[in-house]
Amino acid sequence: MASTTTISQQKKPERSLSPWQIARKKFLRNKLAMASSIFILLVTIMSLSAPFVANFLSPLPDVTKVNIGSMNIQPNGEHLLGTDKSGRDVLTRLFYGGRISLLVGFSATLIVVTLGTLVGSIAGFFGGMVDNILMRFTDFVLNFPFLVFVIVLNTILYGIVDGLWVLILVIGVLSWGGVARLVRSKVLAEKENEYILAALSIGCSPWKVIRKHLLPNVMSTIIVQATLIFASMIVAEAALSYLGFGVPQATPSWGNMLSSANEPDVLQGKPWIWMPPAFIITLTILSINFIGEGLKDALNPKSLR
Amino acid sequence: MLKYTIRRLLGMIPMLILISIVVFTLAKLMPGDSLSGEIDPLNTNPEYIAEMREKLGYNEPLPVQYFDWITGFLQGDFGKSTRFKVPVADVIIEKIPNTLFLGVMSLLITYILAFLMGMYSGRKPYTIGDNAIAGVNYIMLAIPSFVAAVFAIYFFSFHLNWFPFGGSVDILVEEGTLDYWFSRLHHVLLPALVLGAMSTASYTQFLRNDIIENSRKDFVRTARAKGTPLKKIYNVHILRNSIIPLVTFLGFDFAALIGGAIITETIFTYPGIGQLFLDSVTSRDYPTLMALTMLLSFLTLAGNLIADILYGIVDPRIRLD
Repeated sequence: MASTTTISQQKKPERSLSPWQIARKKFLRNKLAMASSIFILLVTIMSLSAPFVANFLSPLPDVTKVNIGSMNIQPNGEHLLGTDKSGRDVLTRLFYGGRISLLVGFSATLIVVTLGTLVGSIAGFFGGMVDNILMRFTDFVLNFPFLVFVIVLNTILYGIVDGLWVLILVIGVLSWGGVARLVRSKVLAEKENEYILAALSIGCSPWKVIRKHLLPNVMSTIIVQATLIFASMIVAEAALSYLGFGVPQATPSWGNMLSSANEPDVLQGKPWIWMPPAFIITLTILSINFIGEGLKDALNPKSLR
Repeated sequence: MLKYTIRRLLGMIPMLILISIVVFTLAKLMPGDSLSGEIDPLNTNPEYIAEMREKLGYNEPLPVQYFDWITGFLQGDFGKSTRFKVPVADVIIEKIPNTLFLGVMSLLITYILAFLMGMYSGRKPYTIGDNAIAGVNYIMLAIPSFVAAVFAIYFFSFHLNWFPFGGSVDILVEEGTLDYWFSRLHHVLLPALVLGAMSTASYTQFLRNDIIENSRKDFVRTARAKGTPLKKIYNVHILRNSIIPLVTFLGFDFAALIGGAIITETIFTYPGIGQLFLDSVTSRDYPTLMALTMLLSFLTLAGNLIADILYGIVDPRIRLD
């Protein structure tokens, strides 16, 4: 592969690629990351299309209704993945479950990255007292045992606000500490460069410097981190739902579906109920991690691939 | 070093106070009497409740209540469990040995696995074996612990019948006998394996990279020039240097184990702190819940502190700032 690239470079030396173009090329060449991207794309399409294709997937398109007549059916032509203990089609629930899992993962990641970047860049750029206060606060948030506080907060807020958004808010607000630390350390290194001094000397406001000069340069780190956080947020949602403290039980989510494995009878004798969500969670997490690794490689100018 | 440790310990105090304030606020937001557990939740007579509230000091201003609670807490008075009708401290103390046993076993498993894999990978980097280990590690890191636990129970307990699928000891064995301890070990092995496998990957990769880095250093070249057998160089000279940084992981593991224990203990119905925590949520035993929240936060904080101090011991440069 190395030899072909050198030849093509010798042929047309006219215009060099922008950093983003280089990154995209590197990413497209990474087979594992591309395969993972396609998988995630499929899962996304599957989740988004759930309400439209539900009628074609099985004779039981309603995922919340209990159907006494069709409980615990093994996978067959009519129900491709069988039905669960309340007579709901597993495949249809898997489609709908993806909506919740991805929605929670995505929204929580958005909160985490926004908060983390905001706190991290302000602390790193202004330094001194501001930095000290913000970072002590970050330490404080990082010192909470995540799962313990999510469960306690959920118990308090449950019933006051709609379950799903409580979950998103709580896991988002409790996990931005890591991003803040990372962004701060990157900003600290980046702000020593002359172009920042130049921008400040021609009178750019601090906000403009952060927005236009600092953030674009730490963006690659944030993007990679966001991918990994996306994966961990999906895990958090699934774990909490599995334990019964996440998304309300009636709503299908991958974690909720897996929680039926809590019953020894289902776990032992009816693997078609809990295995599909288990596999799809694992594959999704694995794919997102591969994409993250691929992005890290692609966005790192020093990596040679 | 002593000065650094003392400074770190003092720095922990404001953090502890802040966390206790947060826990107190949460407890106040909880329905009912979540701090002392003295008010019987089944007795709805308003006179009784009013009388108890007055007696317990719930009509005092909040700062006074906080102060009363925290002094009691520091003296080991965690309130009374509404579910078991005994002091929360007793309920918790009963479960601690189980969780401790699980934690120690899982750490042991992490260390053994990481050592074997890390040393092999570090010694033979970029070979098939190394790549296979990296692949396995990657998958172990990606599989969520609860999915791994469910699969472990399905395969090892139900299909192969190697391990029991719940509890901490067989009901029939007598306490104190050798059989009793074997049964304990038998019950703890599978959850410990799942919990331990979680952090194995990061240990292994760290050890591998450190061994590779060290093997290029001058002291290795000197040792080889002197004719020291390769095996001895790796097992003695390099390993000694590579183990030290690993120590710092211990503190972070502490925090990770707490979250992991809640999940694994619940899935394996292993009667420890984690299961008690979730049970106290479902059974609305709020005094136990709040005491555990406080305790687990404290442990997380202690874990981070240990990590910091170990860093200081391993790398003296950190102590300067």
